[in-house]
Amino acid sequence: MTADDSQYMIVGGCAAGMAAAHAIREHDRQGTVTVISEEPCAPYFRPLIPFVISGKNQWEQMALEGCGPYTGSNIFVRTHSRVASVNPAARSVFLQDGTCLGYQKILFATGSRPHMPPDIKGVDASGVFALRTLAHAKAMAQRVEQTRHAVMLGGGLLNLKTAFALLERHLKVTLVVYSPEVLSQLMAPEDALLIRKALENAGLTIKTGVSATGILSDSTGVTGVTLDDGSHLACQMVCIGKGVRPNVDYLENSGIALENGIVTDRYTACNLPDTFAAGDVAITHEPISGAPISTALWTNAVEMGRCAGQNMAGIKTAYTGTFGILNATQVADEPFVSMGVVHTENSDCQVFRQATKTTYRKMVFDADGTRLIGAVFVGDITNAGLYRYVIRERLPVSGFKQQIIDHTLNYGYFMR
Amino acid sequence: MSQPKEIFVKTDRCMGCRSCIIACAVAHSESKTLFGAVAQSPGPKNRVYVEWVAPDKKVPIVCRQCEDAPCMYACISGAISRNEKGIVVTDPDKCIGCWTCVMVCPYGVIGRNLETRKAYRCDRCPDRDIPACVSACPTGALVYDTVPAYSGAVRKQVSQALSKAEGE
Repeated sequence: MTADDSQYMIVGGCAAGMAAAHAIREHDRQGTVTVISEEPCAPYFRPLIPFVISGKNQWEQMALEGCGPYTGSNIFVRTHSRVASVNPAARSVFLQDGTCLGYQKILFATGSRPHMPPDIKGVDASGVFALRTLAHAKAMAQRVEQTRHAVMLGGGLLNLKTAFALLERHLKVTLVVYSPEVLSQLMAPEDALLIRKALENAGLTIKTGVSATGILSDSTGVTGVTLDDGSHLACQMVCIGKGVRPNVDYLENSGIALENGIVTDRYTACNLPDTFAAGDVAITHEPISGAPISTALWTNAVEMGRCAGQNMAGIKTAYTGTFGILNATQVADEPFVSMGVVHTENSDCQVFRQATKTTYRKMVFDADGTRLIGAVFVGDITNAGLYRYVIRERLPVSGFKQQIIDHTLNYGYFMR
Repeated sequence: MSQPKEIFVKTDRCMGCRSCIIACAVAHSESKTLFGAVAQSPGPKNRVYVEWVAPDKKVPIVCRQCEDAPCMYACISGAISRNEKGIVVTDPDKCIGCWTCVMVCPYGVIGRNLETRKAYRCDRCPDRDIPACVSACPTGALVYDTVPAYSGAVRKQVSQALSKAEGE
């Protein structure tokens, strides 16, 4: 090991990478920890970037280190550095500028990038965004100055949050969704009715069941979007939110096993010695079925990153896996939580729904009705964490099934 | 004494009178008086709860300050941290009201302030020697003590009961 070598090398400076770095520091005060980040700025809370667009926050207020649990010291973050390739046999990484760095243990936490659907023409025009980084958010905030109408392609959470940021800047915003309803990844169409209403009340225009075929532009950038129903929307900004893909290009030919992401075992390790992966880039398992899964959620990335950090520091820790769906947020004035198995069409699950004028919930049990496997709460998310606990720990529900159905479960039921 | 004190719950002593809830709300009101708290609008928020389990068990429940606090790691804005006293605190200036903490708390003790759209929780009454809920409990169902002292007291109680039973 030379002076340039690092005991712990972490590729990627966002949720999983930084959570791992701080977890390592909790167990190993001496070992050198180096984080390599391709972004030019210090690590930040990525979920907050829509606030840069709305103007609610300056980016300096979003810095990660020193906030929340990220208080470990002596973590060296090398910004503006992109890893070009990795040689696990020689335990070294090559940066794009030609620098070679050695390590003893390495974590791949390079996250994901927005998916650009190949069937949409003209995505290179200026004014077309796929929000991922702080730099994107800053560019978007600038483009707002010359925008009256913004069109969002995709009805997922990222686009909804971005849409609200743009509404706060007093733009007209149209959401174009190919699915029959918004948030189709997180809930069934009938589950999303209250949210749809709240979005429309907040001033968002929503078109469902259509998709974009092309983006039109001239010297000023984007001028419009053509849709597959033959219509045309004039606009000065387009935001694409069509899911993400894992960043694994630098691992081609490295010998690290890839299957639409980095394959990991129960201890967050990859197939070669002293290599680990966590976050969006990693394939882990779903705790109910055990099926392989990757997610793009901050909370999951932190959890897996911490687990990987502990394993790297020599504290062998099994990762419990994660639900593909594990979301809480509030859109407009409507809070919601969606977790576990929530798409129940054509399945033999037991499903209990309860709708009022202002609330909706759906509880999903397995076919025997003995385990809770999913839940959706809209409007009233009280005690949602208890239901997550029941799902995740696979608790037999016989003692409190009615309380689950009625949404009256409390911690006292776990104490009997 | 360097050992931190915790709030312990003796469920067999709770009668469900909810004195803890009222005391908590008063302690977190602007005036810190009962009359002021009742008149305050929007009303002050309690951070201790008394749950009911059929057929008739009452369970006071309050933030456990989990060692591995899931809320702190789940928070997407860095609003939740552990202070120098070991108390897990939510910084309202950083909270964005996404309710991820509510989704991961297995005790259900994180509240949502709908007026401010901020999460709130037990802060162990930083300005008081003994948390308001513990002071208010008329039956000793809530105990504020260090872990060694509390478990020592429980052991003593049990061994006394045992030796008494053997003597009979």
